[in-house]
Amino acid sequence: MKRTDLIKSIALLLVIVAVFSAAMFGLNIHTAPLIEANNASAKFGPLLAVLPEGASFDADALIYDAVAPEGSSLTDVPPSVTAVYREASGLGYAVRVTATSQYSSAPMEISLGVSAEGKIFNVQIDSYNDSEAFDFRAKDPEYLSTYVDKDSALTDVGTVAGSTYSSTAFKTAVEEAMNALIANSLIAEGVKSDDQLLMELLPTIFTGMSNNGMMQTEEIEASGNMLSGVKALNDSGFAYIMTEGDATLLVAVNAFGTGKVFDVEGNDVTDAHASLVEEAKAHADANQTSYEEPAVARFEKLMEGAANMQPLPLDTFSSVVAANSFQVGEDTYYGFCARSYGYDIMDVYVVLDASGAIVKTDAKKLFFDEEYFNVDDDVDQPAYKDSFTGLTQDTWTGDNALIAGATMTSNAMQQAVTDAFEAFQAVQNGGTVE
Amino acid sequence: MKNATKSSISHKEAAYLLPLGAGFVMASSADLRAALGMGAAVILATFLSAVVISALRKIIPSRAHLPIYILIITGFVSLIDMMMQAYFPNVVNMLGVHLAALAVSAVPYRNAEDVAGENVETTTIKTALETGFLFTLIMVLCALIREVLGNASIWGVSIEFLKDYRVSALSGVFGGYLVLAIVFAVIRTIHDKTTTKKEGTD
Repeated sequence: MKRTDLIKSIALLLVIVAVFSAAMFGLNIHTAPLIEANNASAKFGPLLAVLPEGASFDADALIYDAVAPEGSSLTDVPPSVTAVYREASGLGYAVRVTATSQYSSAPMEISLGVSAEGKIFNVQIDSYNDSEAFDFRAKDPEYLSTYVDKDSALTDVGTVAGSTYSSTAFKTAVEEAMNALIANSLIAEGVKSDDQLLMELLPTIFTGMSNNGMMQTEEIEASGNMLSGVKALNDSGFAYIMTEGDATLLVAVNAFGTGKVFDVEGNDVTDAHASLVEEAKAHADANQTSYEEPAVARFEKLMEGAANMQPLPLDTFSSVVAANSFQVGEDTYYGFCARSYGYDIMDVYVVLDASGAIVKTDAKKLFFDEEYFNVDDDVDQPAYKDSFTGLTQDTWTGDNALIAGATMTSNAMQQAVTDAFEAFQAVQNGGTVE
Repeated sequence: MKNATKSSISHKEAAYLLPLGAGFVMASSADLRAALGMGAAVILATFLSAVVISALRKIIPSRAHLPIYILIITGFVSLIDMMMQAYFPNVVNMLGVHLAALAVSAVPYRNAEDVAGENVETTTIKTALETGFLFTLIMVLCALIREVLGNASIWGVSIEFLKDYRVSALSGVFGGYLVLAIVFAVIRTIHDKTTTKKEGTD
C-alpha cells in the first residue's frame, strides 16, 4: 500500500468513526430515557400489573432475591419465593413465587401484589408450565379473581375441580408468599374462620379423601345445619361443616355409613353431637355410591368357591369403600375394595386370610393408557399382583408396590394395600381402628 | 455491470444471497413480528450503508475497503439497534443477539461490494432496497409458515382451531432450517427454470 493510500485510509476510518460516534451520541440523548423506561417496564411490568395504578419501584425495591438471599434481611423465606419487592410509596409488596405440581414441566411463575395491610391486590401467572389439559385458568376463568382482597387466611378460596393438583400448587405458592411476608413482620396474619380450620383437619382425619395431603373432593349443596359439604371423588365418603349451638364442627361420614364429629382442635366429639351425625348420615346415605356389588363379584372371581358373603361395617376413614367376609370351604377370608389415587382413581381389591396374610391382589385397571406408554407392556401384571401374596401388616413395607417408571400407580397400590391392612385390623377389633 | 445489477435483484440474486443470510433468516422467522422487525433492519442497514459507500467509493482505497465497509455497516446497524430498542423493545427481545449480529452478516457486506462498483447512484439505491425487500419477503414467508403451522398463532394472536394440529418442531431450530430449505429449493427451481428458458431463447 502506498503511503498516501495508508494515510488516506487512516484518515477515512477516523472520520467515519467520528461521524458515527457523533450520530450515536446524538441518538443516545434521545433514546436513552426511552430504553431505560422500556427496561424498567420489562423488569417490573408483571409486578406493576398486580399492584394498583400509580405504583412504582425505586432502586431499593428488591428486598429479597433468592439468587443472593444473604444480601437480604428477610428470613424464613421458602424456596418457592424467588423475589420480594417493596413498592416505593409504601403501598405494599410484590412477590415473585413459583409453584410446582406433579404435572409441571417447569415451575409456574406467579406475581402476587399484597397491600401493606396484608390484603391481596392481585395475582397473575406469568408463565404457566403445567399440563394444558389441567389448566385451571381455562376450567375456571374466575379462579384467580377469588384471591383478590383476601388476607393470608384465603377465606373462601378453594381449588379447581378437574385441576386439583395444579390449582392446589398455585394456592400453596400464594400461601407461601404470604407466609414469607408474615414471617418477616411485613404484613399482619389473617385470621382463619372455624370452617377453614376444620377443613384443614380433613386430610388428617379422612385420609381417603386426600392424596399426598391434597383434598380430592367436590363441593356439594348444603342443607339443614350444614354450612358446606364435600364429597370424596373416590366415593370414600362425605365431610360436612355443621353448626350446633355456637359450635362449628366437622362431621365425616365414611362409605360404610359411620359418622364422626370433630371440633376445631381436632378432638373427636361424636358422643356430644349425635343428632348432627344422624343428619349427616341421612344425607350421605342418600348420595353414597355403593361398591358392594362389584366388589363381591370381583371377590367371587378371585376366590373360586367363595360363598356366604357378609358385608363388614368399618369405621376407618380411608380409601376402602367395600369390605366383605366370605368363606371358601371351611376357611374364612376378608376382601377389601380400596379406591386410591393413581393417575386416575384405581379400584384395588385385596383378599386376606384369617391370619391377615394377603391371598390375592387385583386392580380393575392397573395402568391408565394416558399415563405410561411402555410400562403397560413391560410389566408382567400377573406376577406383579402375585408379589403381594403372603404379606402381612408386619411384613408389609410398601416396597412390593413399586414399579419403575410408574410412580403414581405405585403410590396408589401402596395406599390401597396399606388401607386394606388397616381395615382388616379394624375388622379384628370389631370394626374399629385401634 | 448495470445489466448485471438489474438482473441480480431477481430470483437469481435470491438464490445466490439466501445462503449468505440463512443464519439470521432462520433466527428471525419464528414469529411474523420478528421477521418484519429484522426485515426493516436489513432494509435500512443495506440502504444506508449502500448510499454512504456509493458516495465514498471514489476516495476509499481499494486495499482498505474491507475495514471501511464493515465500520460503516456496523455503525448503521448500531444506530438502528438503538432506535429499535427505544421504539420496538419487544421485537428486539425476540431477535436477541441476531439484530446486532446483522453488522457482521455477509448480506450487507455483499451488497456493499456490489454497489461500490456501481457508477449510477440510483441503481445502487435500487439494488440495496431490492436486496433488503427480498430478504424481508423471504423472512415473512418463512415466518408465516412457521408461526401459523408451528405455533398456531399469527402476529402473536392464537389461532384456536389450529392449536390441536400445530407442528411444534417448525417453531424450533430444526423447523427453521426445514422451512428455509424448502423456500430456498423453490427459489432455486424458479431460478434454474428461468435460466434454462433464457438460454433456450438466446
